[in-house]
Amino acid sequence: MNPKQLPVVGAVIQYGADDRVLDWILVLGPVVITSFVVFGRNAVTTGIVALYLLAFVAYLGYAEFVR
Amino acid sequence: MRRRLTPLARDLGRILMALSGLMFASILVSLVWREFYAVPALLVSGLLPLLTGLGLTRRYDAPEGIDKLHGMMIAASGWFLVAVFGTFPFLLVAWTVALDPFPGALAAPAAVDTPTLAAFRDPLNGFFESMSGITGTGLTMTDDEGALPHTVQWWRTLIEYVGGVGVIVLTTAILARPGSGSLTLYESEARSEKIHPSIVSTVRTIWWIFILFTFLSISLLWLAGMPAWDAINHGMTGLSTGGFSVTDASIGEYGDPVIEFAMIPVMILGSIAFPVHYLILRGNLKNLYTDLQTRWIWPYYGLGSVALVGLLVLDGTFQPTEMAVAGVALAGTDAATFQAVRYGLFQFVSAATCTGFGTTGIGDWSVASQLTMSFAMVVGAAAGSTVGGIKLIRLATLTKGTVFRIQSVFYPDSAVRFLRLNGRRLSDDELSHELEEAAIIAFLWFVFLSVGLAVILLSVGPSFTLENAVFEIASAQGNVGLSSGITGPDMPTAVKVTFLFNMWIGRLEIIPVLVLLRGVFDGLNVYR
Repeated sequence: MNPKQLPVVGAVIQYGADDRVLDWILVLGPVVITSFVVFGRNAVTTGIVALYLLAFVAYLGYAEFVR
Repeated sequence: MRRRLTPLARDLGRILMALSGLMFASILVSLVWREFYAVPALLVSGLLPLLTGLGLTRRYDAPEGIDKLHGMMIAASGWFLVAVFGTFPFLLVAWTVALDPFPGALAAPAAVDTPTLAAFRDPLNGFFESMSGITGTGLTMTDDEGALPHTVQWWRTLIEYVGGVGVIVLTTAILARPGSGSLTLYESEARSEKIHPSIVSTVRTIWWIFILFTFLSISLLWLAGMPAWDAINHGMTGLSTGGFSVTDASIGEYGDPVIEFAMIPVMILGSIAFPVHYLILRGNLKNLYTDLQTRWIWPYYGLGSVALVGLLVLDGTFQPTEMAVAGVALAGTDAATFQAVRYGLFQFVSAATCTGFGTTGIGDWSVASQLTMSFAMVVGAAAGSTVGGIKLIRLATLTKGTVFRIQSVFYPDSAVRFLRLNGRRLSDDELSHELEEAAIIAFLWFVFLSVGLAVILLSVGPSFTLENAVFEIASAQGNVGLSSGITGPDMPTAVKVTFLFNMWIGRLEIIPVLVLLRGVFDGLNVYR
């Protein structure tokens, strides 16, 4: 699914880096933050946040390598 | 006067309408935290700029084009007006709590009526906080930020967040301006770099990058151990290199090296130019060392931190003590050296990125340590980011240009030479232009630093030293926010007014404010 098709969010990310993975990282940001705001600090939310950050860093490295 | 100011009116109205939107959106925070007493204050605060903005936009037509003069006047007066109207949430919440005029659910709990909030009943203190926030400075009139209502904490965070990117950038992104004036306005707000040919697309991409990094920063700080509300606020003010905190002792409140080290990349992210971020996000990591300013950032932060740590060690600023870091016990000189590295690294990066977060008291550091940080606050970091200061590109231009001019003496007149600056090959005329621009800004910077320094020295008591005063004025004009202890609600009025002016001119790189004042004085026939 292309996140640019999402309502409201699509208007924001159409000016991004034209990269679907980064668009998804942007879209998932509020979801990740809401998860630890609502559920507090536990193993699951810690894992989600760690995964979120890791995905961004890993993707930057991958994008540099591929391009 | 009227003829000169009329072209400004419509754009100022649009800026005020954008500001009112931020105030109305902040009501959500009051509702979430059940601070219902703050809702009427925010409603009234939002209505004031909204009605003023509507009046200005309906009463005045848009000028066909905006020249450089009007662009600068709009930028300078727009930032001033935003700071004026941004005062109302501080003022009205403080007076609402003091008077407690509403019954039932809207009544203010006695616990929020603290001396910290009471300081904002003075309009000058509220205006100071607003100007400090919107310019991304971070000097504060509060004694204990942790005692403020969440609504006020949020308003401080939000104005720093928006001010970091720019009031005009926000307005242009939301209310795309018809006609050709957007570029002139954009450049008047101390920005020049374009990501796309269209300025509207450029500012929207800047916001895309900023929002993405905001989510990442908040997540990183929470993962490092910061509570959720603190992580949200500090993520926003750290990335925007503003430095307002929601705790009494800023980042030092946590006493946790992990949180402090996690904050460093957030501040550095905010100090790198947006176009470079864009290229990196497009998969071009080599811009971390090919772009001139970004290439200079690493040795600048590295050498500056090493110098500051070295001074702290030599001065014996931190005494040997027993401590544990991530389960490792440290004692004796190991512990003292670790403290010097921990605080020296953080404070230098905080100063050089113009963020202003603190982890320890600085007012009693040695003269050399305080002046090292003052130098960092004057220089700042990359143009095109969220930082203040003279900017690295101007330091690079002045350094390389001066060396180039001196070397020219040793070459025959017929020699064909050119200077390379950030990949550009500058002709003699271009070099003169770049050097002139950098020299003027640097000169004006030191002139206004000197004026501010004189006011401080004449106004504050003998308990503050010369290095304290240099540190404080460099922090205000560089939009940093670190304090040697001078700034506070009890500061003399003359110093508050001086700092207000220094923060304002620092954010706009001086010239637009001088142009506005010249235009106003000219219109008032002051020169006749």
